[in-house]
Amino acid sequence: MRILLIEDDRGLGSAVRDQISAEGHTPDWVETLADARACTDTVDYDLILLDLALPDGNGIDFLRALRTRRATNPVIIMTARDRITDRIAGLNAGADDYLVKPVDLAELSARIGAVARRYKGNPNPLIELGDLAIDLAARSITGASGAIDLSQREWVIFEVLLQRPGAIVAKSQIEERLYSFDAEVESNTIEVYVSRLRKKLGHDAIETVRGMGYRLGRA
Amino acid sequence: MIAPETVRSRSLRRDLALGLGFGLAVLWLLGMLGAGLVLKREIDEVFDASLQETAERILPIAVIELINSDIVGPARRVSPVGPMDEYMKYVVRGGDGAILLYSHQARLDSFAVPLATGFHTIADHRIFVLTAVSGAYQIEVAEPLDHRREVLMRTELAMLVPLAILIPFSLLGIAWFVGRSLRPVAALSKEVRGRGASELSPLQTRGLQTELLPIRNAVNQLMARLKRAMESERSFTANAAHELRTPVASTLAQTQRLIAEVPPGPLRLRAQTIEAELRRLARLSEKLLQLSRAEGGGVLAEDPQDLAPILAMVVQDFGRAGQGERLRLSLPEGGTTPARMDPDAFAILARNLIENALTHGDPAQPIDISLARDASLSVTNACPVIPADALSRLTTRFERAGARTAGSGLGLAIVASIARGAGARLALLSPAPGRADGFAAQVSPVPSQPANGRRT
Repeated sequence: MRILLIEDDRGLGSAVRDQISAEGHTPDWVETLADARACTDTVDYDLILLDLALPDGNGIDFLRALRTRRATNPVIIMTARDRITDRIAGLNAGADDYLVKPVDLAELSARIGAVARRYKGNPNPLIELGDLAIDLAARSITGASGAIDLSQREWVIFEVLLQRPGAIVAKSQIEERLYSFDAEVESNTIEVYVSRLRKKLGHDAIETVRGMGYRLGRA
Repeated sequence: MIAPETVRSRSLRRDLALGLGFGLAVLWLLGMLGAGLVLKREIDEVFDASLQETAERILPIAVIELINSDIVGPARRVSPVGPMDEYMKYVVRGGDGAILLYSHQARLDSFAVPLATGFHTIADHRIFVLTAVSGAYQIEVAEPLDHRREVLMRTELAMLVPLAILIPFSLLGIAWFVGRSLRPVAALSKEVRGRGASELSPLQTRGLQTELLPIRNAVNQLMARLKRAMESERSFTANAAHELRTPVASTLAQTQRLIAEVPPGPLRLRAQTIEAELRRLARLSEKLLQLSRAEGGGVLAEDPQDLAPILAMVVQDFGRAGQGERLRLSLPEGGTTPARMDPDAFAILARNLIENALTHGDPAQPIDISLARDASLSVTNACPVIPADALSRLTTRFERAGARTAGSGLGLAIVASIARGAGARLALLSPAPGRADGFAAQVSPVPSQPANGRRT
C-alpha cells in the first residue's frame, strides 16, 4: 500500500516509516500539513497516518478538508491527545481509527491492515483465489504444494491486483504503489516482478492486458 | 482550611423570628408597666380629689349640725338614708380631738388618733383631714385602698387581654414575614448546598436583596477565577501529556525498530529490556497524568451528558487494541439519564475499571460491563473473593490486589478520585452481587440533579 505518514517528530516518524516499509508498504513521510496537501493532490494514497499537532496547523482541519472534497482515503489518527472528546472529534471529522501515542508498532501494523481491509469491503484477512489461500494479515500464501514465499515488492504488486480482482490495473498505478517519492523507477521493474510472481503462483495467476496493464487471472 | 461545623449551626430564620418576637413582647410589657404606673398615679389623683371634695362638702354640713344640735355627750352616729354599703367613712372631731360625729359604718378604732391636715395612708386606707372654724372642728374622711387597686387592676387587665391575644398573632406574623424575607437567602443556601465539589458555574438565585447581591457576586467572581485556574491546570495537564508522550513514543518506536533489525542475541535482549521499561514508563506516566486530571477538578460537566456512547467508545477502543474478546457490554436502550460527569473523566473512569478487570480478573472468564438507565456503571469480573480488609485498601494509591500483578496500583485510586469529584458513589464488592466469587465495581453518578455531597 502507498501510505502517507504525516508526523513532525523525527524520531517517531523515522521509526514508523521504517516499520511501514518493513511491512511491505510504500511510505511517504512528511512533517507539515502543507507538504501533506501537496502529496494528496498528486497521489491517491491507500492510507494516511495523521498526527494532529503539527507545526503548521491542526491535523483535524486537514482531515476535514480531505473529506470535504470527498476523498475516501482511509485515515488513521496517531496522536498524543488522549481525551475521549478529541477522539470523538477525530472520528467525527472522518478518521477511520484513532491511536494514542505511544503506539506499539506491531499494533500500528495490525490497525493499518484492518482499516485497509475494511475499506476494500473485505474485513476478513483470509482470501481464497483458485488454489491459493491468502492471509492478508499474516502476508502469507499457501498453494497446492505448500507455502509460497513472496519478496516484499512481489507482495506489494500482488496486493495491488488483489484489491481489484478482475479489473485491469495500469502499470503506472502499480509503480505508484511500489515506489515512494525518493525512489527511482526503473523501466522494466514491474515486468520483472510480474514474471517472478507467475513463476511462484502459476503462469495464469496474472494476465497481461497489452497496452493497458495487468489483472488477476484466477479471480 | 476551615474545619466543617461539628455542632448544629443556628438558624438565621429562627433567631430572627425569636429575637423579634421576644423583643416585641418585652417592649410591649415594658410599655404596659409604664402605662400602669402612670395610670396608678392618675387614678390616685382622681380618687384623692374625690376624697378631698367629699370632705369639703361634708364638713360644713356637719359643723352646722353640731352647732345647731348643741348636744354634749358621746359621739353620734349618722344614720344612712337607706340600706347601702358605705364606700367612704368619716369622723368629725371637736377641737379637743374627741369624735363628735361619725358615719354609720365607720369603725372608731380606725380613727383612734387625730391626724394632721392633709392626706395620709394608714392601715390600708387613704385618709384626708380637713379643719374648719379655726381648728374647732376637724373631719377625717377615709377610703379603703382596695377600691383603688381593683380599679387599677381592671383597667390594666382591660389593656392586657387584647395584648395577650395579639402577641401570638404577632409572633406568627413575624415568623411568616421573616421567612418570606429570607426566602432568597434560603434559595441561595439551597443552591450552594446542592453544589458538587467540582461545580463552578455561576450561582443563579434570583430576587436577592441588596445586602445579599454582593455576596452572590463575590462568590461568582471567586468561582470564575477558580474555573479559570482549573482550566489552566487542565490545559497544562493536556500539554504535559503531549510533551511527555511524544518522546516516549519516539523512543519506544525506535527501540522496537532496533529489536526488529538486530539479529537474535544479547543486543536484541537488551533492546527488549529497554522496550519493556519504556512500556512501564509510558503506563506509569499515563496513570499519573490521569490521577492529576482526576484530582485537579473539572470532572463534573456543566451540562448533563448521555454516558452510553462514551462507554461504547471506550469498549470499542479495547476491541481495536485486541482486548475486547472478554468484554460483554450492556447499554440501556435509548441512552442513559443525562448525568453531570465530564465525558473525558467518565472515559478515564471506565477505562481504568475495565483495565482493572482485565488485569486482575480470571483471563478465561468474561467481564461484564453494564450501564443502567440511571447512568450507574458496573464492571464485574471473575476472580477469587477479595477479603474485606484488602477491598477497603484498593482505592489507596499504589495498592494492588496481589503483589505480583501487573497493574500500576493507581487505577482504582483514579476511579475513586473521579467519583469523589463528581459526587458519585463508588462501591467495590467482592464477591460480586449474585455470585459466589468475583469482584464488582459500581459507580453511580448524579443524574442531572446537582451533586448533594461527596460519598466514596
